[in-house]
Amino acid sequence: MKKLKLNILYILGALSVFASCTNDLNVQPEDDDKFLSDDFFATTDSYKRGLAGVYANLCLTGITSATSSNIQGLDAGTSQFGRCLWYLQNLATDEAVWSYENDPGVAEIQRNTWNANNVLVLGMFSRTMAQVSFCNEYLRQTTPAKLDSREVNDSALLAEIQDYRNEVKVLRAYAYYVLMDLYGKAPFYTENDALTSIGPEYNREQLFSFIENELNTVLPELKDPRTNEYGRVDKAMAWMVLAKMYLNAQVYINQDKYADCVTMCNNIIGGGYTLEANYLDNFKADNDTSTEMIFTLQADGNVTQSYGPTTIIINGQVGSIEGNGPALYGVGGWGGAIRIRKQFAQKFEGTEYDTDERNTVISGTRPIDITSISDRDQGYIIGKYSNISSTGAPGPNQTFVNTDFPLFRLGDVYLMFAECAVRGASNATTGQAVNYVNLLRERANNGSAHNITSTDLTLDFILNERSRELHWESHRRQDLIRFNRYVGGVYNWAWKGNGINGIALPAHFKVYPIPAQSLSSNPNLTQNTGY
Amino acid sequence: MKTSYKKLLLLLLMLPLNLLAQSKLQGVVTDNTSGQPLPGVNVTVKGTNNGVSTNFDGQFTLSNLKNGDTILFSFLGFKEQAVTFNGQNNITVTLQEESAKLDEVVVVGYGSVKKKDATGSVTQIGEKDFNKGSIVTTENLLNGRVAGLTVNTSGAPGSGSEIRIRGGSSLFANNDPLIVVDGLPIDNATATGSTSYLASLNPATIESLTVLKDASATAIYGSRASNGVIIITTKKGTKKLSVAFDSQLGYGEVANTVDVMSSSQFVNAIETYFPSLTNRLGVDDPNSTATDDLSTPGIIEGRILYNTDWQKEIYRKTEYVSNNLNLSGNLFNLIPTRLTLGNTYQQGLRKTNEFTRTTASLGLTPAFFDNHLKLTANVNYSNERNRFTNGVEGSALRFDPTKPVYDGSNTVWGGFFEYLQSPDELTASVARNPVSELLLRRDKGVLDRVFGNVQADYKLHFFPDLRAVINVGLDHTEGIRRISVPKYAATSAGNGGNNIDDRFGNLEYNSSLFNNKLFDGYLVYNKKVNKLNIEATAGYSYQKFERQFYTSENQLSTTPTNPDLNIETDLVLLGFFGRTNLSWNDKYLLTLAYRRDGSSRFPKDNQYGNFPAASFAWKINKDFFEDSKILSDLKLRLGWGITGQQDLGPAKDFYLPIYTTGGPNNQYYFGDQVLIVGQPAALNPYLKWEETTTYNAGFDFGFFNNRLSGTIDAFYKVSDDLLANVAFADGANFSNFGYQNIGSFTTKGIEFNINADIIKKEKLNWNINFNASTFERKIDKLAYNSDINVGDIGGGTGGKIQVFRENYTPFSFLVYKQLYNEDGSPIEGAYADLNGDNIINNSDRYIYKNPDPDLLMGFQSTLNYKNIDFSFNLRASIGNHVYNNVNSSRAQLNLLQDNAVLGNIPTSALTSQFRNTSDVILSDYYIENASFLRMDNVTLGYTFPKWIEGKASLRLNAGIQNPFVITKYSGLDPEITGGIDNTIYPRQRQFLFGANIKF
Repeated sequence: MKKLKLNILYILGALSVFASCTNDLNVQPEDDDKFLSDDFFATTDSYKRGLAGVYANLCLTGITSATSSNIQGLDAGTSQFGRCLWYLQNLATDEAVWSYENDPGVAEIQRNTWNANNVLVLGMFSRTMAQVSFCNEYLRQTTPAKLDSREVNDSALLAEIQDYRNEVKVLRAYAYYVLMDLYGKAPFYTENDALTSIGPEYNREQLFSFIENELNTVLPELKDPRTNEYGRVDKAMAWMVLAKMYLNAQVYINQDKYADCVTMCNNIIGGGYTLEANYLDNFKADNDTSTEMIFTLQADGNVTQSYGPTTIIINGQVGSIEGNGPALYGVGGWGGAIRIRKQFAQKFEGTEYDTDERNTVISGTRPIDITSISDRDQGYIIGKYSNISSTGAPGPNQTFVNTDFPLFRLGDVYLMFAECAVRGASNATTGQAVNYVNLLRERANNGSAHNITSTDLTLDFILNERSRELHWESHRRQDLIRFNRYVGGVYNWAWKGNGINGIALPAHFKVYPIPAQSLSSNPNLTQNTGY
Repeated sequence: MKTSYKKLLLLLLMLPLNLLAQSKLQGVVTDNTSGQPLPGVNVTVKGTNNGVSTNFDGQFTLSNLKNGDTILFSFLGFKEQAVTFNGQNNITVTLQEESAKLDEVVVVGYGSVKKKDATGSVTQIGEKDFNKGSIVTTENLLNGRVAGLTVNTSGAPGSGSEIRIRGGSSLFANNDPLIVVDGLPIDNATATGSTSYLASLNPATIESLTVLKDASATAIYGSRASNGVIIITTKKGTKKLSVAFDSQLGYGEVANTVDVMSSSQFVNAIETYFPSLTNRLGVDDPNSTATDDLSTPGIIEGRILYNTDWQKEIYRKTEYVSNNLNLSGNLFNLIPTRLTLGNTYQQGLRKTNEFTRTTASLGLTPAFFDNHLKLTANVNYSNERNRFTNGVEGSALRFDPTKPVYDGSNTVWGGFFEYLQSPDELTASVARNPVSELLLRRDKGVLDRVFGNVQADYKLHFFPDLRAVINVGLDHTEGIRRISVPKYAATSAGNGGNNIDDRFGNLEYNSSLFNNKLFDGYLVYNKKVNKLNIEATAGYSYQKFERQFYTSENQLSTTPTNPDLNIETDLVLLGFFGRTNLSWNDKYLLTLAYRRDGSSRFPKDNQYGNFPAASFAWKINKDFFEDSKILSDLKLRLGWGITGQQDLGPAKDFYLPIYTTGGPNNQYYFGDQVLIVGQPAALNPYLKWEETTTYNAGFDFGFFNNRLSGTIDAFYKVSDDLLANVAFADGANFSNFGYQNIGSFTTKGIEFNINADIIKKEKLNWNINFNASTFERKIDKLAYNSDINVGDIGGGTGGKIQVFRENYTPFSFLVYKQLYNEDGSPIEGAYADLNGDNIINNSDRYIYKNPDPDLLMGFQSTLNYKNIDFSFNLRASIGNHVYNNVNSSRAQLNLLQDNAVLGNIPTSALTSQFRNTSDVILSDYYIENASFLRMDNVTLGYTFPKWIEGKASLRLNAGIQNPFVITKYSGLDPEITGGIDNTIYPRQRQFLFGANIKF
């Protein structure tokens, strides 16, 4: 009662003048985790926290919990960048099926029956464009004028912020590269566009040229390979994005840029990366210490929790029959969520691959054919990834893994070099190409028993070898398209085109549709042909 | 006779005194219809303090009378009668019942109006018409009583309800009506430790509930009135002392359970569909090494089979006790005072679930300066104690019925049966024992809430036509909740692993603090000039809502946690309002209202919204049927108004550029340093008010001196500039979704209500009330004309079954069209290719039905015969459809295998023969008609009017709460909020016994 009286007095006092009350409508955030933009940047460490926020958007769905998301329209956990990328690059191919087709969008991706309303197609597009938006915001908040207005004049800090800005430009270029690859176009925004303005549509040529110019501009300013802190990009990341673009330039802009790709590969190879001694150590709980990682998507059982690619892969690869989660992979497991298709399983058939470390196929009593996708006992499974470290220590959490997703690594660069050599890049010799392939083979076989010779080095071999080396690392769809094995009927795999043994796909499936929601909310965008 | 004789003697003795100037009068007061004596009638001498009231025999004795004195007889519900004293000794006064309800005063915003003068669509329900039975939360006093109002309460004790007036007005923003308690609009957020924001209000303190439905009635509340307003008025003190004590006891049980397989059905199903898994049935028989012989159906060799009905095991018989003491009187002969003390205890069906509420409520209504200054103070204190439970229905439906509840040998996991890999390790990804989850989890909440208001209503001495009213209100809520789960509970928290060493258990402390402060000040001018009566009101209102929540997170966690105090940005609402009521010759009534409201949820340029309203009423009977013996009342009402919506839920600062720093589990590594990250939050700097325009036309009618009376209303609502959570252009903001003012939405409907005193005799009275309403909601425009998928379902991650689509009812079901074979059986996974492109994908989903009812009806009957009373009420909903998510996500034969173990499924799978959930979950097969007729309560009572030698009255009653539901819906209960049935907390059937004592 005393309190009540006091409160009443307080209110009476406070409200004696109406005019003062109308100002009460202008509220301010009061929580210690919320700041008006300018208040946030009032502290010097905020510039690094803000940079971490931009990077984090590739690893987390939201910054309050693993079930929060700043993207809507699909399940929060599913909206993780690397997970959507894995769905669109791997699940849509011969390398995997997802048993739980009641998870929205999955059936249409893995059966290649998607349309513009697919929530995973939306999740990828929205997440990646959000990345563009976070990058632009960071650049807007760190202009010299802004820094000056906030009286940031410590020269060491100013220099660091300049580094951060350059890295953010690489991240933005990478985001546009992903959109260019998957969708063939993107709405285009830079830091010069105001928030809530509507960006124009950029096609592949425009995006290609923007990314190329942007990366070449910032490259000299970036840190040398392996000299930056783990988790931040350096020159090798920029070279890698360029290498990927040049490798696929035929697809993107109908130009032969294999020699440029070789140049970029050579830059990276010269950057001090070495193959991790043990292939599988690249996919374990301590793979952040791997010597071949160019850039990863972080995951940590304690401090970086998301339902991202490594968490879903490691939990998902636990078999329905085998129940091998806690012992083998350090996770509880989701009862057989992911299996492999026959055509991928066959890539490891033959005695040549019996002792190949990259062959983690578990067949047991399982049939190789999947006649019913929901039957989790059909089809082989694999155990490539693990939440147990190279020294045998399990990650601290059996749901959220410690394993980072290997977005780009040296092994890929060797195979890209070899491919360019076969495709006739003037600056790559076959001998060097064979040498690079054999470096991977020797590591996988603990010796040269299954090394190849120059006659083995064909395009078909490279496509298959890429799958053996790089499966479940979000490259497969791009590779199949580059080798003309994706659309059409040259190469069919189980459930391709929703046929149990696979049927031809129409040509427009080379790119995903612009999500219906994204199309309608930006009148400048046009739908891809065929959708 | 003996007493009468004595009185007669006394009278005779007193006769000579009549000659003196001062005299006595004796008499009896009776009711004109029944002829029964009326107790408690106020008998006063006009202009003096001299007064008494009648006893239980209707008798009174009044002394100190002078010839020529006017004696007034007044009693609630009867016309006041005046008798001039001219020396009579003994009189009999017969009071006329007030011609039905028309003089009833109806509370409206910032004032009140006589019901006969109301111009808007307003329904007021007084105490005597409240629903009977075990009413724990206030809103249930009204359920089924008001056309156009729906209340849907969960089965959990004290739980909140979905309250909708005319279906709500918003698509994305809040659809809760504004609730105003004694002039204080209350916050619709539920505090930590509480079951709902209305649970702390004791229904026993309430005098009346008024439902304002159309904009002409609600517009005076402007900003928050789009969804209608419910005004709660608590009881006021009386001049005369009265004591009432009500006590109720109840025993409840579960009325219905989901039809899953019994133990023997389950054994049979496993033998049929998974013959290789029969060795997983029951538990191992240590005395047998036999393996199952498939040629002996029903017998599983080597295994001990139990017969466990898991739904029976998680529920129990419940107890309910409610006691209320209401004291009313004139404190110090000056302050009419009312004090209500109440205590309610209700057990939930789920074991360990309970709700206890203790309340004290005080109302003071003194008047000073010859009634020029009226003060009203209401103070309510409420203490709520809850023990919460998790929703274990899912695992109870799923758990293998051949398993026992307890397993003494399972010492690591608390002695409950659990699936084990080894004694220390649970099997991954299988159901956990639901009984263990109930019994081992301690989850307790305590809420303390003080709310009330002080109002001063001053009629100016020098200008009595003008009143100044100041109303100050406060609602202060502190809630806490503590959760503890031992590590040995199978559902305890851990690092994700299933070994006992992976578990750390739970210890969590959460709290919340809410403040809601109100200041209103307004002037009322009232003047009658010839035939014109003017009442004008103008004022200002300020309200501020503050909320903060604290969570300790799991203190036993070995992974980093984030104990955090989350302070929500304040919400400030202020308004300037005015209203004029004009009436001409008591026939033509016009109300004009205007409110200008500011909300802190919007950017500076858009803070204010303007909300006008106008309504007109014409008492037709006074012009045309003045002398009619049949038609006693006929009034036409026409109304129009605009109301606002600003309640985006917790998004109170969505227009501000804000950076948020992340949690400890959501950091990013730079080298060896892990950083709390900062990210900008999505925002809309152009946010503004959503507006709803309502048109309403209605008739009030009455026949036979209003023994038969009713209303009929038709309305049309258009909500524009919907505060819609819709797509942002990708790349233009920090999310792909956010609140924007896009879209429009309409609701139209008809409501009908009739009340009849069918029999009104001395010993027999029968009153019935019937209401019916229908409404249709339709989305006219959505952002970019795009569909928005809504309606989260169970089974899979992120599935949605409903859609917002232009020209359709919101939340329509978006499903695949099931194909059937020649026998009429559904073909699994076979759907119609509706767009004919030879691909079955999400473009082939179509709209099939929606959760809105075509017709809602309520019926109440009250019968009195001598001292016996009998009442019941019925509610019906016709044409509402439900997506049976229990069946769609569970009734598939392959689910008999639950990863490494077996799992139970609904028996309907045997009918559909569906095997794979993912093939059928979005089929229209699972959309069912969930029309129903429910009896909420039936009560029989008997009154002893002259208990304890006539000093008190006692009414004993017995009743049944929720006696039956008639429906064709195949699920547990057809009354589902939102149209998606994914296991609910079942509603109890209760047997009630009560006593009401009045002194």
